[in-house]
Amino acid sequence: MKNRLQSALLALESLETAARQESPLHRTDARAKLLTTTVFLTTVLSVPLARLSEILLYALFPILTAAMGGMRYTSIFRKSLLVLPFVALIGIFNLFYDRTPAFRLGTLIVTEGWISFLSILLRGLLATQALLILVGSTGIHALCRGMQRLGMPRIFAVQLLFVYRYLHVLLDEACRMAQAREARSYGRRTFPLRVWGPLVSQLLIRTFERAEQIHRAMLARGFDGRIPDCTGSETPWRSQDTVFLATWSTALLLARLCWPVETLTRLLR
Amino acid sequence: MHMSDALVSPTVFAVAGAASLALLGTAIRKMQSANSAPHNAREHNERIVPLMGVMGAFVFAAQMINFAIPGTGSSGHIIGGILLAAVLGPWAAFLTLSSVLLLQCLLFADGGFMALGCNILNMAALSCLAAYPFVFRPIMRRNASPGRIFAASLLASVVGLALGAVAVTLETEASGITALPFGRFLLFMLPIHLAIGIGEGAATGAVLCAVQRGKPELLADVRRRHSHSGLHLGKSLGLIALVALLIGGSFSWLASSQPDGLEWSIERTSDASAASPATDAVHRAAATLQKQTAVIPDYDTSLAGLIGCGIILLAAWGGSQLHRAGRRQT
Repeated sequence: MKNRLQSALLALESLETAARQESPLHRTDARAKLLTTTVFLTTVLSVPLARLSEILLYALFPILTAAMGGMRYTSIFRKSLLVLPFVALIGIFNLFYDRTPAFRLGTLIVTEGWISFLSILLRGLLATQALLILVGSTGIHALCRGMQRLGMPRIFAVQLLFVYRYLHVLLDEACRMAQAREARSYGRRTFPLRVWGPLVSQLLIRTFERAEQIHRAMLARGFDGRIPDCTGSETPWRSQDTVFLATWSTALLLARLCWPVETLTRLLR
Repeated sequence: MHMSDALVSPTVFAVAGAASLALLGTAIRKMQSANSAPHNAREHNERIVPLMGVMGAFVFAAQMINFAIPGTGSSGHIIGGILLAAVLGPWAAFLTLSSVLLLQCLLFADGGFMALGCNILNMAALSCLAAYPFVFRPIMRRNASPGRIFAASLLASVVGLALGAVAVTLETEASGITALPFGRFLLFMLPIHLAIGIGEGAATGAVLCAVQRGKPELLADVRRRHSHSGLHLGKSLGLIALVALLIGGSFSWLASSQPDGLEWSIERTSDASAASPATDAVHRAAATLQKQTAVIPDYDTSLAGLIGCGIILLAAWGGSQLHRAGRRQT
């Protein structure tokens, strides 16, 4: 049986390997991918909930970018399902509060509430998928560097990379502590607060001691309170990146402004 | 508590994003001004940069060790705002928790990317910058008894999470996502978050008591302050209520504003031009014929649109599968 710590460690591992793959999407500059994802999220989130079919069209973006990045869309889809419970919890009230009939499917009457509920679920899935593809094809380091080059303050970028670097170490440490405790607790999976408090405070104290060690090691290497700019691996912006950003932005904005699905169905009729 | 992208509209995430960017900017400026200050403060800053990083990772790890909630058989985890603030001070804790939220969104898809501004406000700002200085600090003393530590963390966590629940409700309502009226939605959210707040407070109290026993110098922010920081509990609670009212007022103003003018006018024109039912016999016959022959019965364009879209998506997905298969063979 895996606990949450172990599955988190595995998830981090698989993320790193995914980011090291080779594909046209992996070669695209992190800034281009970040901006395109932002355009995608802004356009898809601005579509009114009643226009379910228009939102559905936006699923082309994760499907096509996943193909471009050599990822399996089915596994991205499966991972994005995790977001559903919380979103459904908020959206489910629309079923009861909005009972205006929208259209009929045989004898089944579909209400506006159902349409907006499905729209909320779909928005959640699509937004998560876009993010999974962005991170999976870029990796945290390149993403942080990209955000920094787009204007994120250095101190925050350093903080992000610091947390990410020590995340592995501390998860490992917490994993060992939890395992030792589980081995002594005869199958009980969770910790009563009486045990949990001292355990986590122990982790906190160890963390603090580790920070002291790191601080001393940094001082020994000439740290003066500021972290120098990390140069190297600064990929230049290429023409492919411009093409990627421009194509997707145009397509997404057109889809948002012209309502292609509704226009087409009206024309076909 | 983590808001997903599905629950926010562009207006709301833009406003919340701008607000949290302003707060982050203030936090960063505070850290940098400490950097150029006299020796003492500078040394503090030298130490706090690695400490913030490692503490961020600690919160991550601690959130994944669940504790049992007595009497329910379920388990919960901490958010850690009050805990971080007691060790790092409110502004550094705010910065750390924000970085944790960003990484959670990127690594585990916990909370949306566009909703990040909302999440930073709801979880980091309200606990580190509102509940901690206005509730925790006035109660806490330098050599506090375990009971006092427990009370301080419990009250601060409950206030922080209740404020967070109000903020989540406001943001969802302002986004026009839920058909649920504001009052009922709040009645649904508040009890849940009150329960979470009690769990969070008890857990934070348990950790802080153990730290106070084992290594009291860790609680640097608690030790740095003198017992009387000038704010009394009653006064600060009143202040929080005032701020909550102000925020609530401005957000509900946003929520009540009309959908944008373009959409409104389009809806009006399309209503006006909607075909009036056919009157003459030829048209009626054509209409029945069309109804019988159409693959998709003529109920609404949206159903047809849905089906068409589904076919396009299937084709795109199938194409990408073929593409993958082809690539694997070469």
